[in-house]
Amino acid sequence: MKKPIIILCLILTSSAGIAGERSALEWSSGTAYMMPEGRMEIGLFHPLRYGYSKAMEFSMHPVAAFVIPNFTVKHRHSLWKGAAVSTRHSFNYPTPLLRLLSREGTGGIISPEFDIPHMIAFNNEVLISKRCAPELLLTAKAGCVVALRFGDLDDRSTIDLPIVYHRLLVFYHHWTLRSGLDLRGRLFDRWSYVFDSNVFVTPPAESGFCIENKGLILWTKSSGFELCFGYKLVYAEYPFGTQWHLLGPLFDLKWAWKLK
Amino acid sequence: MRQLACAIILLYFILTSCEPLVDKFEDATDAELYRAKKMSRNPVSVDQIHVMTWNIRFGAGRILWFGDSCGERVILSENEVMTHLHLIAEKIIEADPDILLLQEVDILSKRSAYIDQVQWLLDHTDLNYGAFASCWKAQFIPSDGLGRMNMGNAVLSKWPIGDTERIQLPLRGDQDALTQYFYLRRNILITKIAIPDIEDFYAVDVHTSAFAKDNTKKQHIDIFKHELDDIDAAGGYFVAGGDLNTLPPGAERTYFCVENLCPGEDPYEKEGCDFSREVTWLQGMYDDYYPAVPLDVYLSDELHHFTNTPFPDKFWQKKLDYLFSNSSWSTNSSMTHQDADRHSDHIPVSAIWEVPQ
Repeated sequence: MKKPIIILCLILTSSAGIAGERSALEWSSGTAYMMPEGRMEIGLFHPLRYGYSKAMEFSMHPVAAFVIPNFTVKHRHSLWKGAAVSTRHSFNYPTPLLRLLSREGTGGIISPEFDIPHMIAFNNEVLISKRCAPELLLTAKAGCVVALRFGDLDDRSTIDLPIVYHRLLVFYHHWTLRSGLDLRGRLFDRWSYVFDSNVFVTPPAESGFCIENKGLILWTKSSGFELCFGYKLVYAEYPFGTQWHLLGPLFDLKWAWKLK
Repeated sequence: MRQLACAIILLYFILTSCEPLVDKFEDATDAELYRAKKMSRNPVSVDQIHVMTWNIRFGAGRILWFGDSCGERVILSENEVMTHLHLIAEKIIEADPDILLLQEVDILSKRSAYIDQVQWLLDHTDLNYGAFASCWKAQFIPSDGLGRMNMGNAVLSKWPIGDTERIQLPLRGDQDALTQYFYLRRNILITKIAIPDIEDFYAVDVHTSAFAKDNTKKQHIDIFKHELDDIDAAGGYFVAGGDLNTLPPGAERTYFCVENLCPGEDPYEKEGCDFSREVTWLQGMYDDYYPAVPLDVYLSDELHHFTNTPFPDKFWQKKLDYLFSNSSWSTNSSMTHQDADRHSDHIPVSAIWEVPQ
């Protein structure tokens, strides 16, 4: 039993580390950096990302897209005081998923007595990344989500769960502000970390505040494979009051390749 | 050292702030205690105690809820729940019980607009103290859109409630593991109430299984009686009752599966409607203790003692709600409040208990 563990440890730690700058560019999700042109990335839970050009990348969740069509464009802007600046623009259309979850019996997350109208959300945010130390990258983000709704949506149809409640609140109140800080750096060799916090505020809602913190340890085997695990801590207001949630362990595998 | 301190603080927040998805409960735990925001004056000296039991159906009134009355409603509006709570409070004020045993009380449940019904009823009646024991507590029930749930039994009293104990009853044995995990964990709520001049006085509240098709309900009734036997053997007095979900011995009708059938349902599959093999399950309670409604009184006029019907357009069809004690009730003091027909699918039963001299 010990032998496979030792071999696994050797594989995980033996090879030479990847240069921090190159790694940050290749696995740049969550930062203002753009992924290299022609590069494609996908994960078990991570979206499919594609570096369309040096200044633009596209992403979407391919499996989720069947029930929640979504698309994101990230666009690079010129440097600002030595920091990378980009904007991210996305939409999602959750109606098919919510209608699927509105059902009788087991799996009924939303009561079937409520109608789910057609709804679409547009998220626009600015990301600014600056290297604070040779192995430390700080990204600040801020943005606004605006939702359009084509019909009535009953206030009682909310899904009062962490992560979900505050991301859907925009459909009940039409706009949500979000901002965050993302800190990432290298630990040693192929190991690095991400410490990411996000705040959601929906001012028209009575229970519209949420703060999420995510911590991840990443193991980057090469420019073609990365593994990560960690936790997510959520403190939020809900219709029943405030509550902490510790979610985890989070886990993901990511693969990448060059298209051209 | 600083890192260790940070880790301990983080761990403290994680351990103290996160709830399990479903509360499973220990075999015996304390109940949650409540006080009214504004206290009413409680009687200093008593010869009689007015006791009432009521399954208030979480403030759903006679709405056709999906789980029990062939309805399609799941999540009630705040306005609907408040309307029914006001009706319930009016009835409580009118009946003026000193001790009230409640079943199906919601605190912070999505289906009842997240209203803490124990606190609300204390604040809108002359009752001062409360104890609550959950029988269905989950952060999220992924079925029919139920969402967050906390329902249970409560004892409300004009006098202070001292020791409390929540006795866990066996889970239904006729469900698959997943359904059972998210399903009710019924209990007996034992409260010791500080009534002047009575040393050991207990109010005991129970809500036994409604839909089990195996012997789960029989076990619940047997454990309930066993707890009462223990209080009695120790020289204490009790008033006990609740929604026992079974019929009195000798009840004329025991089968309701055809008349209670929902469209598309199979009468052989329907749960909680065939009481034919349960007719002796309460015999021990009637033999050993004082029922608020004596069996001969009940059997002489069953109709006037019925306490439940699933459907608002039908007359009460059976008696499921009871009060018992190990000391006598005042003669002819019991009331089955059939006038309270808009408040719940059960009606309250009350009686006056004579304080032993």
